[in-house]
Amino acid sequence: MSFLDYDFMQRALIAAVLTGLAAPAVGTYLVQRRLALLGDGLGHVALTGVAIGLLTGWAPVWTSVAVAILGALAIDYVRAKGRASADVALAMLFYGGIAGGVLITGLAGSTAATLNTYLFGSITTVSQDDLWVVAVLAAVVIALAVGLAPQLFAVCQDEEFARVSGLPVRLYSMLIAVMAAVTVTVAMRTVGLLLVSALMVVPVATAQQLTRSFRTTFALAMVLGVVPSLGGVVFSYYVDVAPGASIVVGSLIGFVLAWPAGSLLRRRRARRSVNGEDPRVTGAHVPTERHPHQHDPECGHPTVEHGDHTDYLHDGHLHAAHDRHYDEH
Amino acid sequence: MRSAVVDVRGLRVDLDDRPVLHGVDLQVVEGEVVTLLGANGSGKSTLVRTVVGLVPSVAGEVRLFGTPLRSFHDWWRVGYVPQRTTAAGGVPATVREVVAAGRLARRKLFRPARKADRAAVDHAIELVGLSDQANRSVANLSGGQQQRVLIARAAASEPDLMVLDEPNAGVDKRSQEAFARALRTFVASGRTVLLVLHEMGPLAPLVDRGVVLDGGHVVHDGPLPTPSMTLTGPPDHHDDHREDYGAGLFG
Repeated sequence: MSFLDYDFMQRALIAAVLTGLAAPAVGTYLVQRRLALLGDGLGHVALTGVAIGLLTGWAPVWTSVAVAILGALAIDYVRAKGRASADVALAMLFYGGIAGGVLITGLAGSTAATLNTYLFGSITTVSQDDLWVVAVLAAVVIALAVGLAPQLFAVCQDEEFARVSGLPVRLYSMLIAVMAAVTVTVAMRTVGLLLVSALMVVPVATAQQLTRSFRTTFALAMVLGVVPSLGGVVFSYYVDVAPGASIVVGSLIGFVLAWPAGSLLRRRRARRSVNGEDPRVTGAHVPTERHPHQHDPECGHPTVEHGDHTDYLHDGHLHAAHDRHYDEH
Repeated sequence: MRSAVVDVRGLRVDLDDRPVLHGVDLQVVEGEVVTLLGANGSGKSTLVRTVVGLVPSVAGEVRLFGTPLRSFHDWWRVGYVPQRTTAAGGVPATVREVVAAGRLARRKLFRPARKADRAAVDHAIELVGLSDQANRSVANLSGGQQQRVLIARAAASEPDLMVLDEPNAGVDKRSQEAFARALRTFVASGRTVLLVLHEMGPLAPLVDRGVVLDGGHVVHDGPLPTPSMTLTGPPDHHDDHREDYGAGLFG
């Protein structure tokens, strides 16, 4: 395979793997929280960061990560305030991000072609320095997404319940926003700022066609992120198109293929599991398993009034005398 | 004397600058089952949401287990069941995964779940009768079963106080009964329950005291008339007629 002989392709492929893992990992939490479009907005905002880099001569990877994080914190703040106008405020932030990006790029004297490499990715532009930054950031994002999975799951599943559990919900909420912002920067060189959101959302959507647990959705989404990322970069080597486009089209093809399989799977599962209720809690007659002793007021098990008889609290179950055995009550 | 688990004094709460609760007092002592009743908009939901710290108060004080809410940190002692129509999020999750989220108050960061954690989650699922569904996606369960998942999640931290916000709203009879049984088992071990109800249903015999709210004021605080029903409907052949040995023990 000749493309592996090129240094730029090696770097592009490494960046693709990191992006393909990090984007769906964060994306799973965004989708769970029903914030699928957050990545899109952050991509717009990060563009202003790139432009600032072009204007000042600082590395765009740093300026974009800084601006994207600021944008993420602003979005999270507006969301937490929960005002009715939050929707419009966010929209304006997104427009401002892309307009500011184009404006400042123009001031910096850069061309639309330069901007395009950030918007849709470019396999030839991943420098050695970029790769280091991308690798460290992606590793941190993936480590947090996996290591804090129980906490992030709880916050994204039910924010109010998480707060009553004593979790620092605002902190985790900001963390997710910042992780998304960092991922946007990680993905900037491969899939590009305008299409990064697709790599956060589409693999998750594909995975959940086939899964029923969060854990497998999370893992499968990461696999489904890496495959089109690598494929897209290789495709862009042979056919001169922006890698962002081929990566996203690739992952959408995955979704289209998974969809019929998913609906078949769901129908089969639905048929299999209609009546699996535990009769103990639905009132049917359930004798307890063999019982070592006769419950009486001296047996040491707490007693509970139940209508016109007494139940005994035994190992988390309530036992009621019935003929010569005990019923679970 | 049994100690106060929930102690609310002179509570005033505004939502969007509109007063919702005007100087409400509410005490719930250890082992008690207290239900809040009232019409829509009477402030009963706001009251429990303030008690668990989700809504800020304008005036007055809330204490949980004797500690002012501001400095209360033992959140594992509180099992909260929010008012929800679904337990599902944007991504599939199994019953076990959702219930395990309720155990986080007892877990440390970056540590895997211990044996005791897994056992508590299993037990909570069993409590609401969903053991056979533990690995199913919550989105595929009925509304009543999803409500039971939320109750199991609250029970997973093995709390001393359960706070439930309309757990029976739109729930089928079978799940209501399952819920009543789960709650009975919970109360039987001497723990405390504060719940908001629209109508008493099969829970009536379980409730020690009713607090009725109207327009943000407490208008009744005391025992409620109990219909002659057992917990799960009219007496049937399961309800063995024996002497009431433990009368008054949990009353």
